[in-house]
Amino acid sequence: MESHPSYKALSEVLPKYPQSAGSCFQTFNDITLAQQWTDVEVIDLPVISRCAFRGRRPKMDPLLYVVPCSLAESLSVSWFNEAFEKLGKPDQVYLAINTPDSSIVYYKLTPGIVKPPV
Amino acid sequence: MDEENPRIIELRVSNHRAYVWNVDDLALLRSKHRVCGVLSGTLPHVSQQNVFLGLPLMLIPEEVVLLVEKQLAVLVDDPSAHRKPSRGALENWNTERKASVKTQLAAETRGAKEDLATSRSRSMSEDAVRKRKAREEKRAAAALAKHLAEGDIEGSSELPTPEMASLSQPPSTPQPELTSLSQATYIATVPGWGFAVASHMVQHAARAGIWSYPANAHERAKCNVFRDLWEKGHFMGGGIKFGGDFLVYPGDPLRYHSHFVASVIDSRSAPIAPMEIVAHGRLGTATKKAHLLCTWDEEKQEVSYYSVEWAGFG
Repeated sequence: MESHPSYKALSEVLPKYPQSAGSCFQTFNDITLAQQWTDVEVIDLPVISRCAFRGRRPKMDPLLYVVPCSLAESLSVSWFNEAFEKLGKPDQVYLAINTPDSSIVYYKLTPGIVKPPV
Repeated sequence: MDEENPRIIELRVSNHRAYVWNVDDLALLRSKHRVCGVLSGTLPHVSQQNVFLGLPLMLIPEEVVLLVEKQLAVLVDDPSAHRKPSRGALENWNTERKASVKTQLAAETRGAKEDLATSRSRSMSEDAVRKRKAREEKRAAAALAKHLAEGDIEGSSELPTPEMASLSQPPSTPQPELTSLSQATYIATVPGWGFAVASHMVQHAARAGIWSYPANAHERAKCNVFRDLWEKGHFMGGGIKFGGDFLVYPGDPLRYHSHFVASVIDSRSAPIAPMEIVAHGRLGTATKKAHLLCTWDEEKQEVSYYSVEWAGFG
């Protein structure tokens, strides 16, 4: 992991959170390399022991937030609340769920009752 | 009925389940109180079918708790709600019943004889005779029922809620030409003898041992989430088809598709497995619904929501 070219961007935060380092590293690589996000920044979230990311999807303007986690973790609503709070209460957050085989699924979390798109 | 203060609905409780037996109550529940329930009564002769269901309407416990808390309904312990009639009332009913049987039988025999005569003179086929006979019997029975409803029953104050029930009875005349009489409709009145205790609070009903919901933190959370969604103007249905606790509709389910599948989370600290989010989120997206994570906060006494959808990438 340390010798990977993209490790440099995360070298500040990953050593602090060994539990979630794998998910964070995997998610960062996925959004920057596979999903081709631009302007990706790393945001430290000590309250939930990990880092999150902010960036733009290709050809899309809004800044989006991604919080990585592993499939094996146990989350809770207070965990979501903390993440939203510390990210500055964005309209929505993408939860990046990492599996051991390195596949990642993204789910959009929106506070409140929000109608699905028609 | 007063538009502002609609009448209070009686929910008949049997074996810790609440039923509505009155079709007007059902309409009131649905049109005014945004409560749908599930029809559970089937046809006596085709008890296996589940397509055409009717009364009674079965309510889910969250609906019951809401209706009682909002003072829109009371719980009635059905098994003990039927009073034993007094001796006089019973005798009165029996005399009337016998008189009614006599009139009906007389009318029946008369009708059948006339029918026989006409059919012979016209030399109709046996099948046609039978059909014609059945029609006339039905007419005679309807006229009798009308007569009974207007005259005989009205005068008797001993019968508070008379219900009409049809009763099939073999004829007393054993003539072979009159066999179709066994299919004739007779009318007998079955009186209901009033009811007893009603509970205006869920706690009272619980103490009386007829109602036991909500009994734990999860059930309380479900009741609170249900009430909160109801107060926001939604209709709720059972969520089993989409793997949640409730389906949330923006209006009457007969007119709208549901927009949300709701699952209830007992508290903010209750564990949520990421796999649940994947399963709920993906199914919801595939069915054009968002999944709602509804969390009851006991401390703040409020419900908070997160909507979950597939991100559309990855």
